[in-house]
Amino acid sequence: MTDVALQQAEEQAPLEGVIKGEVMRMYQEVAEHPAGEFHFYHGRRAAEMFGYASDWLDRAPGGAVASFAGVGNPHLRSRLQPGEVVLDLGSGAGLDSIIAAWQVGPAGRVSGVDLNPEMRAKAQAHARAAGLTNIEFRDGRMEDIPAPDEAIDVVISNGVINLSFRKRRVIRELFRVLGAGGRIAITDIVSAKLLSQSIVNDPKLWAS
Amino acid sequence: MFALLEDAGFKRVRATIVPGFAFRKEATRDAAEAYGVKAVLFTAQKPGQ
Repeated sequence: MTDVALQQAEEQAPLEGVIKGEVMRMYQEVAEHPAGEFHFYHGRRAAEMFGYASDWLDRAPGGAVASFAGVGNPHLRSRLQPGEVVLDLGSGAGLDSIIAAWQVGPAGRVSGVDLNPEMRAKAQAHARAAGLTNIEFRDGRMEDIPAPDEAIDVVISNGVINLSFRKRRVIRELFRVLGAGGRIAITDIVSAKLLSQSIVNDPKLWAS
Repeated sequence: MFALLEDAGFKRVRATIVPGFAFRKEATRDAAEAYGVKAVLFTAQKPGQ
Protein backbone atom coordinates (compact mmCIF):
# COMPACT_ATOMS: atom_id res chain seq x y z
CA MET A 1 0.00 0.00 0.00
CA THR A 2 1.40 3.45 -0.90
CA ASP A 3 1.83 6.18 1.69
CA VAL A 4 -1.11 8.08 0.20
CA ALA A 5 -3.36 5.02 0.19
CA LEU A 6 -2.30 4.21 3.73
CA GLN A 7 -3.09 7.74 4.86
CA GLN A 8 -6.51 7.59 3.15
CA ALA A 9 -7.24 4.24 4.80
CA GLU A 10 -6.29 5.64 8.20
CA GLU A 11 -8.46 8.72 7.65
CA GLN A 12 -11.43 6.58 6.62
CA ALA A 13 -11.12 4.07 9.46
CA PRO A 14 -13.25 6.02 11.98
CA LEU A 15 -15.93 6.69 9.35
CA GLU A 16 -15.91 3.04 8.34
CA GLY A 17 -16.59 2.09 11.95
CA VAL A 18 -19.50 4.52 12.16
CA ILE A 19 -20.95 3.23 8.90
CA LYS A 20 -20.63 -0.38 10.05
CA GLY A 21 -22.61 0.57 13.15
CA GLU A 22 -25.27 2.32 11.10
CA VAL A 23 -25.58 -0.63 8.70
CA MET A 24 -26.03 -2.99 11.65
CA ARG A 25 -28.59 -0.67 13.23
CA MET A 26 -30.66 -0.25 10.06
CA TYR A 27 -30.86 -3.92 9.14
CA GLN A 28 -31.55 -4.89 12.73
CA GLU A 29 -34.47 -2.49 12.61
CA VAL A 30 -35.80 -4.25 9.51
CA ALA A 31 -35.55 -7.56 11.37
CA GLU A 32 -37.18 -6.28 14.53
CA HIS A 33 -39.78 -4.00 12.98
CA PRO A 34 -40.56 -5.38 9.53
CA ALA A 35 -43.72 -3.28 9.36
CA GLY A 36 -41.66 -0.08 9.63
CA GLU A 37 -41.01 2.41 6.85
CA PHE A 38 -37.59 2.40 5.21
CA HIS A 39 -35.95 3.95 2.15
CA PHE A 40 -36.25 0.62 0.38
CA TYR A 41 -39.06 -1.82 -0.21
CA HIS A 42 -38.75 -4.91 1.90
CA GLY A 43 -40.62 -8.00 2.95
CA ARG A 44 -42.95 -10.00 0.74
CA ARG A 45 -43.76 -7.02 -1.47
CA ALA A 46 -40.10 -6.59 -2.39
CA ALA A 47 -39.55 -10.31 -2.90
CA GLU A 48 -42.54 -10.50 -5.24
CA MET A 49 -41.28 -7.45 -7.17
CA PHE A 50 -38.04 -9.32 -7.80
CA GLY A 51 -39.67 -12.51 -8.99
CA TYR A 52 -39.35 -14.79 -5.98
CA ALA A 53 -41.64 -17.74 -6.56
CA SER A 54 -44.87 -17.56 -4.56
CA ASP A 55 -44.47 -21.11 -3.35
CA TRP A 56 -41.05 -20.23 -1.88
CA LEU A 57 -42.57 -17.27 -0.04
CA ASP A 58 -45.54 -19.32 1.15
CA ARG A 59 -43.30 -22.13 2.35
CA ALA A 60 -40.62 -20.01 4.09
CA PRO A 61 -41.09 -18.92 7.71
CA GLY A 62 -43.07 -15.67 7.84
CA GLY A 63 -40.35 -13.83 9.75
CA ALA A 64 -37.75 -14.57 7.10
CA VAL A 65 -40.04 -13.21 4.38
CA ALA A 66 -41.14 -10.15 6.38
CA SER A 67 -37.53 -9.10 7.06
CA PHE A 68 -36.32 -9.65 3.49
CA ALA A 69 -34.31 -6.58 2.46
CA GLY A 70 -32.70 -7.62 -0.81
CA VAL A 71 -32.44 -5.57 -4.00
CA GLY A 72 -33.07 -8.36 -6.50
CA ASN A 73 -33.22 -12.11 -6.89
CA PRO A 74 -29.88 -13.94 -7.14
CA HIS A 75 -31.71 -17.26 -7.48
CA LEU A 76 -32.77 -16.33 -11.02
CA ARG A 77 -29.21 -17.04 -12.19
CA SER A 78 -27.62 -19.12 -9.42
CA ARG A 79 -28.41 -22.48 -11.08
CA LEU A 80 -27.89 -24.29 -7.77
CA GLN A 81 -27.61 -28.06 -8.01
CA PRO A 82 -28.19 -30.76 -5.38
CA GLY A 83 -25.07 -31.34 -3.33
CA GLU A 84 -23.47 -27.94 -3.90
CA VAL A 85 -21.89 -25.86 -1.14
CA VAL A 86 -23.26 -22.32 -1.05
CA LEU A 87 -22.14 -19.18 0.73
CA ASP A 88 -24.77 -16.49 1.34
CA LEU A 89 -22.83 -13.30 1.95
CA GLY A 90 -24.84 -11.00 4.21
CA SER A 91 -27.49 -13.56 5.01
CA GLY A 92 -29.73 -11.24 7.03
CA ALA A 93 -32.88 -12.92 8.33
CA GLY A 94 -32.14 -15.98 6.20
CA LEU A 95 -34.64 -16.06 3.32
CA ASP A 96 -32.04 -16.47 0.55
CA SER A 97 -30.11 -19.08 2.56
CA ILE A 98 -33.30 -21.06 3.14
CA ILE A 99 -34.20 -21.00 -0.57
CA ALA A 100 -30.65 -22.07 -1.42
CA ALA A 101 -30.83 -24.91 1.12
CA TRP A 102 -33.98 -26.22 -0.52
CA GLN A 103 -32.23 -26.21 -3.89
CA VAL A 104 -29.00 -27.94 -2.85
CA GLY A 105 -30.90 -30.49 -0.76
CA PRO A 106 -29.66 -32.60 2.13
CA ALA A 107 -26.43 -33.51 0.30
CA GLY A 108 -25.57 -29.82 -0.04
CA ARG A 109 -24.77 -27.16 2.50
CA VAL A 110 -25.39 -23.45 2.95
CA SER A 111 -23.31 -21.09 5.07
CA GLY A 112 -24.81 -17.72 5.79
CA VAL A 113 -22.39 -15.02 6.92
CA ASP A 114 -23.58 -11.87 8.65
CA LEU A 115 -21.96 -9.45 11.07
CA ASN A 116 -25.17 -8.81 13.02
CA PRO A 117 -25.62 -11.33 15.86
CA GLU A 118 -29.36 -10.72 16.19
CA MET A 119 -29.88 -11.28 12.48
CA ARG A 120 -27.90 -14.52 12.71
CA ALA A 121 -30.05 -15.67 15.62
CA LYS A 122 -33.21 -14.88 13.68
CA ALA A 123 -31.91 -16.62 10.57
CA GLN A 124 -31.01 -19.70 12.59
CA ALA A 125 -34.48 -19.75 14.14
CA HIS A 126 -36.06 -19.41 10.70
CA ALA A 127 -33.95 -22.27 9.35
CA ARG A 128 -35.00 -24.46 12.28
CA ALA A 129 -38.64 -23.50 11.72
CA ALA A 130 -38.23 -24.56 8.10
CA GLY A 131 -36.88 -27.92 9.27
CA LEU A 132 -33.53 -27.43 7.57
CA THR A 133 -30.39 -29.04 8.92
CA ASN A 134 -28.05 -28.15 6.06
CA ILE A 135 -27.66 -24.47 6.99
CA GLU A 136 -25.33 -22.72 9.39
CA PHE A 137 -24.99 -19.02 10.11
CA ARG A 138 -21.58 -17.64 10.94
CA ASP A 139 -20.27 -14.41 12.34
CA GLY A 140 -18.12 -12.67 9.79
CA ARG A 141 -17.30 -9.67 7.68
CA MET A 142 -17.44 -9.75 3.91
CA GLU A 143 -13.93 -8.30 3.77
CA ASP A 144 -12.62 -11.32 5.67
CA ILE A 145 -14.93 -14.23 4.88
CA PRO A 146 -14.79 -17.03 7.46
CA ALA A 147 -14.24 -19.86 4.99
CA PRO A 148 -11.15 -21.75 3.81
CA ASP A 149 -9.71 -21.31 0.34
CA GLU A 150 -11.67 -22.98 -2.49
CA ALA A 151 -14.32 -24.39 -0.13
CA ILE A 152 -17.40 -22.99 -1.88
CA ASP A 153 -19.22 -23.92 -5.11
CA VAL A 154 -21.51 -20.91 -5.36
CA VAL A 155 -21.67 -17.50 -3.67
CA ILE A 156 -24.98 -15.70 -3.52
CA SER A 157 -25.49 -12.23 -2.07
CA ASN A 158 -28.27 -9.70 -2.13
CA GLY A 159 -27.76 -5.97 -1.66
CA VAL A 160 -24.78 -6.21 0.65
CA ILE A 161 -21.45 -5.59 -1.10
CA ASN A 162 -22.35 -1.96 -1.85
CA LEU A 163 -22.29 -1.35 1.90
CA SER A 164 -18.57 -2.12 2.11
CA PHE A 165 -15.86 0.53 1.94
CA ARG A 166 -13.50 -2.12 0.58
CA LYS A 167 -15.30 -3.65 -2.38
CA ARG A 168 -12.12 -4.75 -4.14
CA ARG A 169 -11.12 -6.73 -1.08
CA VAL A 170 -14.61 -8.28 -0.88
CA ILE A 171 -14.41 -9.44 -4.49
CA ARG A 172 -10.96 -10.90 -3.90
CA GLU A 173 -12.37 -12.79 -0.93
CA LEU A 174 -15.12 -14.23 -3.14
CA PHE A 175 -12.48 -15.42 -5.58
CA ARG A 176 -10.42 -16.96 -2.77
CA VAL A 177 -13.23 -19.01 -1.21
CA LEU A 178 -14.60 -20.33 -4.52
CA GLY A 179 -13.28 -23.56 -5.94
CA ALA A 180 -12.21 -23.88 -9.57
CA GLY A 181 -15.27 -23.38 -11.74
CA GLY A 182 -17.17 -21.85 -8.83
CA ARG A 183 -19.87 -19.31 -9.54
CA ILE A 184 -21.33 -16.13 -8.14
CA ALA A 185 -24.86 -14.78 -8.42
CA ILE A 186 -24.98 -11.41 -6.75
CA THR A 187 -27.55 -8.65 -6.82
CA ASP A 188 -26.37 -5.26 -5.70
CA ILE A 189 -26.72 -1.53 -6.07
CA VAL A 190 -24.40 0.30 -8.42
CA SER A 191 -24.09 3.97 -9.30
CA ALA A 192 -23.24 5.32 -12.73
CA LYS A 193 -21.65 8.41 -11.15
CA LEU A 194 -19.22 8.89 -8.32
CA LEU A 195 -21.15 9.65 -5.16
CA SER A 196 -20.58 13.06 -3.67
CA GLN A 197 -18.43 13.29 -0.55
CA SER A 198 -21.48 14.43 1.42
CA ILE A 199 -23.17 11.11 0.63
CA VAL A 200 -20.02 9.08 1.29
CA ASN A 201 -19.63 10.81 4.64
CA ASP A 202 -23.25 10.29 5.70
CA PRO A 203 -23.60 6.94 7.47
CA LYS A 204 -27.40 6.92 7.14
CA LEU A 205 -27.32 7.46 3.39
CA TRP A 206 -24.51 4.93 2.94
CA ALA A 207 -26.39 2.33 4.94
CA SER A 208 -29.65 2.84 3.07
CA MET B 1 -18.34 -3.96 -9.81
CA PHE B 2 -18.00 -5.45 -13.29
CA ALA B 3 -14.38 -4.27 -13.49
CA LEU B 4 -13.63 -5.44 -9.97
CA LEU B 5 -14.84 -8.93 -10.84
CA GLU B 6 -12.72 -9.07 -13.98
CA ASP B 7 -9.69 -7.66 -12.17
CA ALA B 8 -10.00 -10.36 -9.51
CA GLY B 9 -9.79 -13.04 -12.21
CA PHE B 10 -13.44 -13.94 -12.72
CA LYS B 11 -14.50 -14.99 -16.22
CA ARG B 12 -17.86 -14.89 -17.99
CA VAL B 13 -18.85 -11.78 -16.05
CA ARG B 14 -22.42 -10.78 -16.86
CA ALA B 15 -24.53 -7.91 -15.52
CA THR B 16 -28.29 -7.65 -15.87
CA ILE B 17 -30.32 -4.73 -14.57
CA VAL B 18 -32.93 -5.82 -12.03
CA PRO B 19 -36.32 -4.76 -13.40
CA GLY B 20 -38.64 -3.16 -10.93
CA PHE B 21 -36.05 -2.00 -8.45
CA ALA B 22 -36.86 1.37 -6.91
CA PHE B 23 -36.43 3.19 -3.67
CA ARG B 24 -39.67 3.60 -1.77
CA LYS B 25 -39.27 7.22 -0.66
CA GLU B 26 -39.58 9.86 -3.35
CA ALA B 27 -36.60 11.95 -2.18
CA THR B 28 -34.33 8.92 -2.20
CA ARG B 29 -35.72 7.85 -5.56
CA ASP B 30 -34.95 11.27 -7.09
CA ALA B 31 -31.40 11.30 -5.72
CA ALA B 32 -30.82 7.75 -6.93
CA GLU B 33 -32.02 8.68 -10.40
CA ALA B 34 -29.66 11.66 -10.50
CA TYR B 35 -26.73 9.38 -9.72
CA GLY B 36 -27.82 6.64 -12.12
CA VAL B 37 -28.32 4.18 -9.29
CA LYS B 38 -29.49 0.75 -10.43
CA ALA B 39 -29.84 -2.70 -8.96
CA VAL B 40 -27.87 -5.22 -11.00
CA LEU B 41 -27.63 -9.00 -10.99
CA PHE B 42 -24.01 -10.04 -11.54
CA THR B 43 -22.93 -13.52 -12.47
CA ALA B 44 -19.39 -14.72 -13.01
CA GLN B 45 -17.28 -17.85 -12.81
CA LYS B 46 -13.88 -18.64 -11.35
CA PRO B 47 -11.79 -20.27 -14.06
CA GLY B 48 -11.85 -24.06 -13.93
CA GLN B 49 -8.90 -26.41 -13.74
